[in-house]
Amino acid sequence: MAPVAPRSGDAIFASVEHVNAELFTLTYGAIVRQLLTDLEEVEEVNKQLDQMGYNIGVRLIDEFLAKSNVSRCVDFKETADVIAKIGFKMFLGVGASVTNWDADGTCCSIVLEDNPLVDFVELPDTCQGLYYCNILSGVVRGALEMVSMKTEVTWVRDMLRGDDAFELQVKLLKQVPEEYPYKDDE
Amino acid sequence: MAAIYSLYIINKSGGLIFYKDYGSAGRMDTNDSLRVASLWHSMHAISQQLSPTVGCLGIELLEADTFDLHCFQSLTGTKLFVVCEPGTQHMEGLLKVIYELYTDYVLKNPFYEMEMPIRCELFDINLSQAIQKDRVALLGR
Amino acid sequence: MIGAGKIKQYSNVLDKPLSKGKQEVSSSAFAFLFSELVQYNQTQVDNIAELERRLEDAGYAVGARVLELLCHRDKNGFTCETTFNMFYLDHVSIQEIASLMSSNCNFCCGIFDLLNFEANRETEGKLDCWVSCLLYTAQCGKCYFGKVADSLEKGTEHEDEYMISEKELLVNRFISIPKDMGTFNCGAFVAGIVRGVLDGAGFPAVVTAHFVPMEGQHRPRTTILIKFGEEVLRREARLEHGNFNDLVKAIIATPVDVKYTISFLHSSYDLSHE
Repeated sequence: MAPVAPRSGDAIFASVEHVNAELFTLTYGAIVRQLLTDLEEVEEVNKQLDQMGYNIGVRLIDEFLAKSNVSRCVDFKETADVIAKIGFKMFLGVGASVTNWDADGTCCSIVLEDNPLVDFVELPDTCQGLYYCNILSGVVRGALEMVSMKTEVTWVRDMLRGDDAFELQVKLLKQVPEEYPYKDDE
Repeated sequence: MAAIYSLYIINKSGGLIFYKDYGSAGRMDTNDSLRVASLWHSMHAISQQLSPTVGCLGIELLEADTFDLHCFQSLTGTKLFVVCEPGTQHMEGLLKVIYELYTDYVLKNPFYEMEMPIRCELFDINLSQAIQKDRVALLGR
Repeated sequence: MIGAGKIKQYSNVLDKPLSKGKQEVSSSAFAFLFSELVQYNQTQVDNIAELERRLEDAGYAVGARVLELLCHRDKNGFTCETTFNMFYLDHVSIQEIASLMSSNCNFCCGIFDLLNFEANRETEGKLDCWVSCLLYTAQCGKCYFGKVADSLEKGTEHEDEYMISEKELLVNRFISIPKDMGTFNCGAFVAGIVRGVLDGAGFPAVVTAHFVPMEGQHRPRTTILIKFGEEVLRREARLEHGNFNDLVKAIIATPVDVKYTISFLHSSYDLSHE
């Protein structure tokens, strides 16, 4: 099949169906509330949000690939760019940029231009340790794992915690070779 | 008008998670379809290794005397393939459409467990619509 | 730095202007999030009834806030409280209120619909507050689910029941219910939203979601069944021959009623019993 050119994040977002962002925001809020009630410990909630994001990521990646026509990225730099420029735009309608590359090109930051998850949100005193948007870091981690990249994704800046931006750090831990693993003992 | 014989979806470890046959030709029982799936999974992987082209993504089309086999593999390792009458048109397009149906009606279904056999009523309904001949013909436009 | 400059930092969420409500995300993002909500809740329950209840609770939390937002999002400064106060003023005609509100926020559109409806019904000399509030709920549906419900009917068997029907409920769009789950319907979440809205507006009700088979259709449609609480019924009885002002007075006078405190933005609504 002739390769099809990847589509821009804007073009994809314009062509897909939309829902009211508030419904999305409030539904996410309801999830966080449930977790806080069920798990009680803020640290546990952070973990669970990350896990839920991971679960979403491993499913969502296929839709991302199907709709974006993105083919295999040549390196991690391209991958990070694709997530920021196309991924965030196509699902959340927000732009993002990639900065703070380390010397060997395995760690960078994705800075969000906007974040629909946090409208109407303020962390109460009892939840100061909460990473409210931890679901997003989980999504990125889960999605990348499905295309053979083990990563560690953490929030380095979070406006709900008083920082001046939403910044995700994505660190490539291991690139699983894409060939069929004949030598594995499995 | 050329006909589609059957459709397979294989998960990334080679397990058959969806099989459907259309019409009488090439009908198979469960064991045979499982065998075809794992056979194809291995052949596809071997073809990637054997190919003289660097970065080959595996067989896309197998042409036999009595059938064509068109295969699409997503970057996540899920493979979809259709077996059809030789010379059937627009199969790449159809596979892409089926892949999108899979992302909608399988992956967004909270009751579907990843890598497990697909039992989703809505996927079946939308699939049978997509695979209708007149719909497939429209993909050529 | 690229991008970062666009975000304004607010030390307090209350300082941040309330968004206009026009923003959108892809429906896929919502579908994946909702799917995960269902999956998570499945791990927390032993049976299907419990799962339905938990989804409804999640929806209720959303509905209560939906109402709040619709009330606040009002360019000309209308709020629940001012709206209700206006109704108290006998010299303001329904038409005047209607024209004032016609170009306003979603909440007022809801009320506007409601007013139109009441104006038509006045000749009959009987007000039907349930229908009014259902219209209002439908309006919320338009704002949040992109459309007004496919149909809105009054129950034929029970006077206190209303039904909102959708051929394809947004949340059920991609979901196939496994055979072993019987009549389980993820619309429980939407039922929760409706209950949250109605409760906040002073119409406590039991709201449930059901699949109803449709002739000639592959898929059943989802009906949201609303059964109002006794206090609403009693209020309705008192309104037998009233007019619209009385209706509003009655709403405000009902013990379970809501007193809206709208002096500051973003607050959770204040449900104070008078």
